[in-house]
Amino acid sequence: MSSTNSRTTKLPKLTNPEAASAMFEAVRAVAEQSFFAVAEPSDDRSFGVAAIQVPRWLVATVGFEQGPLAGSVSCTLPERLANGLFDAFTGRDPSDPAPTSTLVYDLVGEFSNMVCGAWLTRVEGSRTFTLSHPSVEPAVKPGTAGDLRLVAAIDDLPVAVDLRLLPLGRVNGVPQA
Amino acid sequence: MRILIVDDSAMMRAMIKRVIKLADVPVESILEASNGREGLELLQKHEVQLLLTDINMPVMTGAEMLREIAGNDRWRGMSRVIISTDGSTVRREEAADLDVRCYLEKPFSPEVLRDVLNELADNEVAETD
Repeated sequence: MSSTNSRTTKLPKLTNPEAASAMFEAVRAVAEQSFFAVAEPSDDRSFGVAAIQVPRWLVATVGFEQGPLAGSVSCTLPERLANGLFDAFTGRDPSDPAPTSTLVYDLVGEFSNMVCGAWLTRVEGSRTFTLSHPSVEPAVKPGTAGDLRLVAAIDDLPVAVDLRLLPLGRVNGVPQA
Repeated sequence: MRILIVDDSAMMRAMIKRVIKLADVPVESILEASNGREGLELLQKHEVQLLLTDINMPVMTGAEMLREIAGNDRWRGMSRVIISTDGSTVRREEAADLDVRCYLEKPFSPEVLRDVLNELADNEVAETD
């Protein structure tokens, strides 16, 4: 399930139900193919209940430009899930020394990068795009929803994916090549 | 075989290195770069037989790097593989024009990359024979 705000009506192509469905398919493909994790659809209520029990989150944001469209995709996930995804992606044994936060942030950034790219390919596969280098920040709770918010569960932990649309030529505030 | 991996994610480079070691590919050494500019600098210094590159990177994109490579006879025999989230038809057509032998779309499973590497190694042997 997804929630949208009033901007949805102005930009139907990126925020219609098909685009939201494509976002979940992108999340599921990334989780399953590269991180050996199970992604399931969720809803705002289930997400809210699960989110209360999460003490620390990571928010990874990737800016994009695709023809006349520009914006960003942010993946918000529990730090615990990030560590689990790290182990799955790298084959790290849980008995090995814990990875540095720099490496975990890099991995979460790559997760968001893949989700954004897979989603853009699904919604507009005939048009190429550019992505910014991911920015990753810690958070004590999920931020406000973007123009489109998808909530899901990966390995039974809550995940939010927010799409935000920006004026053309600015991706994360930085002009892109 | 000397292999160059170009990707701005250190974790993605590490994952690709891990798969290379699992594949049945004779590896002399593996070089790493975090953008196209660094990749070109390494190519100037080392003979590389296989290039695995991302597209969207800061400083210089993989497409810009591949255009420079395509314009220089020195790298004519080097196999080129794109590993990118950009699965658009336009990007794939562009890759074909730049002599890219394989276009691997992220996300992918390690087994898919392993199979691509094995196929490239088999072709390399067949061309050498």
